[in-house]
Amino acid sequence: MKKSSRRYGWLRKTISPLLFLLHFFVAFPLLAAQVQATDPPYLSTILELAKQKQLYKERYWHILLHYKKGLFGTRSLIDDEAFFLSREGKHNPEAELNATIRGFFQESDDETKHPVCKFIARYTWLKEQLNLDSSQLPVPECKRFTELIDQIKPESVSLIFPTTYVNSPASMFGHTLLIVETASKSKLLAYAINYSAVTQETFGPLFAIKGLFGYYKGYYSILPYYAKIQEYRDVNDRDIWEYPLNLEYEEVIRLLMHTYELNLIYSDYYFFDENCSYQLLFLLDAARPSLGLTDQFNLWVIPVDTVRAAKKSGLITGTFYRPSKSTKIKHIASLVPKAGRKKALSIVRGELKPEILLEQDIPKEEKIWICDLASEYLQYLYAKDEVTQQKYTNLFLSILQARSKLGAMDENEYHIRRPTPPDEGHLSNRLSLGFGIKEKDLFQEIQYRAAYHDLNDNDKGYKEGSQIIFGNVALRYYFPDSNLQLQGLDLIDIVSIAPRDEFFQNISWKVRTGWYRRVLADDRDHLLYRLNPGGGFAYEDRWKGLWYVFMETDLNLGPALEDNYAVGIGGSAGFIGKIADCWKLHLFVRDIYYGLGDTTNSLELALLQNFTITTNTSLTAKISRDLSHGSHQNEASLTFGWFF
Amino acid sequence: MKKLVVIVLAAFLVITFAGASFAAPKENIGCGLGYMAFKGKDGLLSQTAAATTNGTSSNQTFGITSGTLECDKPANFTANEKLNKFVADNMDNLAVDIARGQGEYLNTLAVLLEVPEGERALFYTKLQTHFSDIYTADTVTHVDVIKNIEIVVTSG
Repeated sequence: MKKSSRRYGWLRKTISPLLFLLHFFVAFPLLAAQVQATDPPYLSTILELAKQKQLYKERYWHILLHYKKGLFGTRSLIDDEAFFLSREGKHNPEAELNATIRGFFQESDDETKHPVCKFIARYTWLKEQLNLDSSQLPVPECKRFTELIDQIKPESVSLIFPTTYVNSPASMFGHTLLIVETASKSKLLAYAINYSAVTQETFGPLFAIKGLFGYYKGYYSILPYYAKIQEYRDVNDRDIWEYPLNLEYEEVIRLLMHTYELNLIYSDYYFFDENCSYQLLFLLDAARPSLGLTDQFNLWVIPVDTVRAAKKSGLITGTFYRPSKSTKIKHIASLVPKAGRKKALSIVRGELKPEILLEQDIPKEEKIWICDLASEYLQYLYAKDEVTQQKYTNLFLSILQARSKLGAMDENEYHIRRPTPPDEGHLSNRLSLGFGIKEKDLFQEIQYRAAYHDLNDNDKGYKEGSQIIFGNVALRYYFPDSNLQLQGLDLIDIVSIAPRDEFFQNISWKVRTGWYRRVLADDRDHLLYRLNPGGGFAYEDRWKGLWYVFMETDLNLGPALEDNYAVGIGGSAGFIGKIADCWKLHLFVRDIYYGLGDTTNSLELALLQNFTITTNTSLTAKISRDLSHGSHQNEASLTFGWFF
Repeated sequence: MKKLVVIVLAAFLVITFAGASFAAPKENIGCGLGYMAFKGKDGLLSQTAAATTNGTSSNQTFGITSGTLECDKPANFTANEKLNKFVADNMDNLAVDIARGQGEYLNTLAVLLEVPEGERALFYTKLQTHFSDIYTADTVTHVDVIKNIEIVVTSG
């Protein structure tokens, strides 16, 4: 059973409650005889007291065991058998509580493997609740844990949010982790607590799909924070946000105790709900049970929403920004005149020796900038695997040797102004109401989007030029013939527009799949399924406007199409610009030639304007013109959007 | 003919797109400069990035784990395991900070070496001016770096 339930992880959630019922009937006679004749008297007393106080119903017990109420009753979100002392522990809080208390009375040769140590948070809580006399226990305390605390010297905790990473399906919405800062006061040496899926899967899309259905095991792990910084900032090139929390010392210890309990314990990893960010919340709830953060999420958990929840509960006391490698490179490049940037590039290409730069007749400050720009950029290229290790180390050292002869500089020059923090951007869900006119027909439209940001939304708190849409459904009603119709359903619609410049040769890409409407040969629009990937280039002008061009393919399927399909190829080009902070403009043209199946050429021209009213409300005006099968359709609409 | 062109182009685009998802991680070993645990794992749609992005799991023990456990340990100066690991894991970023005479990695080094706050400015300048004596060659290991820092610091 175990093997098959693991293979069919997605079935498991449904089946396991039934198993539980089965367990329950089999186990019931055993449960009734909780207090066994052979129990030592003190254990019997304690079990009786726990029963009287109904501790198994206590909230904290449910937090520590990750119990949540589901459709079929209570179950723990932890799937590892090693986490439970009772065989029914996953579904039965009372059986688990009794088994845990019994466990504390076990004899043991290895203290670190004794339940008192393995489940230190449970022990500490139960000891307090039951006024346990630890001198009557074989292992009265967990020395190993005390030693660890002495070593770590924990002081405070911060919530860390590495931002969106569009190029990886599992990190598209960002990620969260916790760091425990220590008496050393050096953040780099903090301990980073992270929850993640463990897999050897090497093909991204497959990873994402398997991740949806709980195929992977998720584990909590601890690493030095500097290792996570290297991963996120230097290799993935993501900005990192740090939110210090106001946890008191005892709360920090509780958090660590619970982390200790979860060492090497797995849960099935579900990309949407039981993901990295959600599982982390258990640690915060264990630290301060009144938070109830794990109760605030249902169907899906978007990492930035957990940051918002923490903020709402009053946990967060500040915001720090740790810019990504490319943000830093762009900043330094912005200080240097063009000739200097060219020199930095020549150094990285090996055309200009750093020692020669030192002899040139330019201000010392500029030499510093050039060296720093060159070394940062070389590190960036190396992380992207664009230079060999040998070439890198060699050049890297010669740049730094030159730099070391130039002395220190004013540290503030490299201070990068903090952009809007991600938690202050618009919220993740959107509901829109619009009305418009298509040719001569008036219509009303209602739209709901589950996640999370599109190119036309206000970029504050989001990455410019990025669009991540999951589950966007639009219903339209045309006057006066009262037919409510599905206008479109985007399952996934992702666009990453990454501008290129002298330092970054970025590729922009997009992928869109779902249902949409297109006018066919009969001159009416029909609902078609589409799969539309594309790749291209983008540039940023000096007013921060983005110009992009994509080459695209488009596969359409639907009974209304001749031969039920159409395959096309074409491209799109557009401009996205900000006229003011609250006024965004997007103009584009897209032409696809469908050469296979239902052949035609389809040309679309559109202008969108988005006006931000408040952070969570906006107004979008759109005019468009479609040319397909030799006839055209004009449309204009005005839509009010509300983020929640 | 038209059809053929469309098929070829469509196939080409799909292949390029899918091909981008296989970014093979290259060789990246060692305890010296250029060691980065996650290097080369961020190709477009590469799942290795996905796997690591949401976590560096390795062998999870409650104690700190790192990618350089297999590296040598310095003989003296420091029975300071933390320093040893910090330098080994941050060879490159520490080199940058030493060359610049400032930065978070340099501050952390000072913390680990227990340099009193008041003496740090001097300590930083000293390391900066002796950069070439610390990072002596591109084959330098973290053991050498720690040893060289010791020499620079104690040489008055």
